[in-house]
Amino acid sequence: MVTHEEILKIANLAKLSVSPEELDGLTKDMNKMIGFADTINAASEGAGSFDSAGGLSNVFREDQVVPSCRREKILGNAPCTEGGYFLVRRRS
Amino acid sequence: MGQYGTIARLHSLLSEKRLSCTELTRAYLDAIKKENSALCAYVKVTPETALKAAAKVDAKIAAGEPLAPLEGIPMTLKDNISTKGIETTCCSRILKGYVPIYDATVWDLLKKQNAVLLGKSNMDEFAMGSSCETSCFGGAKNPHNRKRVAGGSSGGVAAAVSANLAAFGLGSDTGGSIRQPASFCGVVGFKPTYGAVSRFGLIAYASSFDQIGPIAPSVEDAALIYDAISDYDPMDSTSIGRKAPVSPALENSIRGKKIGIVKEYFRGVRPDVDSAIKKAVGVLCSLGAETVEFSLPAISYSLPVYYILACAEASSNLGRYDGIRYGYQTKQHFADRNDMVCKTRSEGFGAEVKRRILLGTYVLSAGYYDAYYKKAQNLRGTIIQSFGEAFRKCDFIAAPTVPMTAFPENYAAKDPVETYLTDLCTVPVNIAGLPAVSVPCGFGNDGMPVGLQLIGPEFSEAPLLNAANQYELASRKTSFRSVETGVRL
Repeated sequence: MVTHEEILKIANLAKLSVSPEELDGLTKDMNKMIGFADTINAASEGAGSFDSAGGLSNVFREDQVVPSCRREKILGNAPCTEGGYFLVRRRS
Repeated sequence: MGQYGTIARLHSLLSEKRLSCTELTRAYLDAIKKENSALCAYVKVTPETALKAAAKVDAKIAAGEPLAPLEGIPMTLKDNISTKGIETTCCSRILKGYVPIYDATVWDLLKKQNAVLLGKSNMDEFAMGSSCETSCFGGAKNPHNRKRVAGGSSGGVAAAVSANLAAFGLGSDTGGSIRQPASFCGVVGFKPTYGAVSRFGLIAYASSFDQIGPIAPSVEDAALIYDAISDYDPMDSTSIGRKAPVSPALENSIRGKKIGIVKEYFRGVRPDVDSAIKKAVGVLCSLGAETVEFSLPAISYSLPVYYILACAEASSNLGRYDGIRYGYQTKQHFADRNDMVCKTRSEGFGAEVKRRILLGTYVLSAGYYDAYYKKAQNLRGTIIQSFGEAFRKCDFIAAPTVPMTAFPENYAAKDPVETYLTDLCTVPVNIAGLPAVSVPCGFGNDGMPVGLQLIGPEFSEAPLLNAANQYELASRKTSFRSVETGVRL
């Protein structure tokens, strides 16, 4: 069973805030989901292993110079910018 | 050319100048205007982009130039496929207003053929869901019965194609998100082998599972689309590209092919769905295929393995939404950067996305990593091995796509785990990176479509779609019902 405290700790790691009203419902849901995940414990450890999807590893290629995106275009999607930088303005 | 190909039919109408591309495009745009408010298949309609492409195609026709197979064909893209200059939201509040500055490779390939983009389609938020109802726009409805869901996560594409509001669409399939809504809406959904189609520009959910593929009215259409989008792409390090075009290989006999019937795929399947699948297998046998029954015990663990690994990958992939570089930023006061990020994410993500991020963070956190993540990766290897053994016994596996027909509205909201269980028949394929297709195979007792799923070994696209096509040609008259809306030519 995960407790309220554990949920708050995990939420903090995931950069999510959980309001006191949400906490009960979320803990209940998470316990169901973790209980569901726990069902893999019934499986015996197999000989299988998984390294990469598609069986590929270390796909290398020579560096190539190609056109890149313009800075203004990239900044165009940001909620707040200043002087060509992303900006987080304190709002207190 | 087969008799059920919508794309081929539209292609000849355009090539023979019986219809201009602008007229065709306007017909679709008018139909969308009329039907979309009730169906919610599209979350953004792009008439300007569509008519501009149509004009280009008309100029080519006027100049007597031949048209590429998908040239001038009106279509849609799931809203997690990046479209330069066109808002792409993943149906999440956190990405509202986000306008990509580059195209996904699949869209780039279709654009080069002058495919006509009608708009972006509805989906579960970040592709997390099985009903389309976690979309921040509200879910797409099922064209066969609007009190039922279209399915998910690519519910908007499936609804648009089923309601004849697009000739085809591209969706993405992480745990069944192409095949399940295709099954619910009575259309064809095809998930190619992992690596066969570039994911560059697909907004990531779970990168070792995500795959783009077509949703179309027929198998022949799905094959044409697959041929247009499967190519090696240096921008996707998991890209392998296709081995050979599939469309020319759809007319072969399936005599002597061995169809695997795997016990585990039929556990808990609703009796009317079960009998539709058995009947479909009977049709395959009447075409000369043989069945071989066996058990694959390892796939019983597919669901928890999938949810552990997909959520772990999602918790990392969705870490990028910080309210600084793109998308939504909290309007509340905040003390510092960390406070701003937490508030932004908590307001921007919906409940299901938050639950999956939390589960993913939990299984990756110190003390739990070995018990969950590592164990699930180990079982993933075991599942892949057991599919390898299965395909030494058979050429394809036949199974239901979903153990039931389309859910009633709000079904998914009740209990998250209960809904996960409905993904039972679709997730094993994603775990093993295999290709699989869902083809309409009749109706349940409730009159809703049922999908037959055919699964093949890696890169068996050509024989797999050939088998699906042979089934479709033999059964279409009873297994498929067209919806009386939209553009029907």
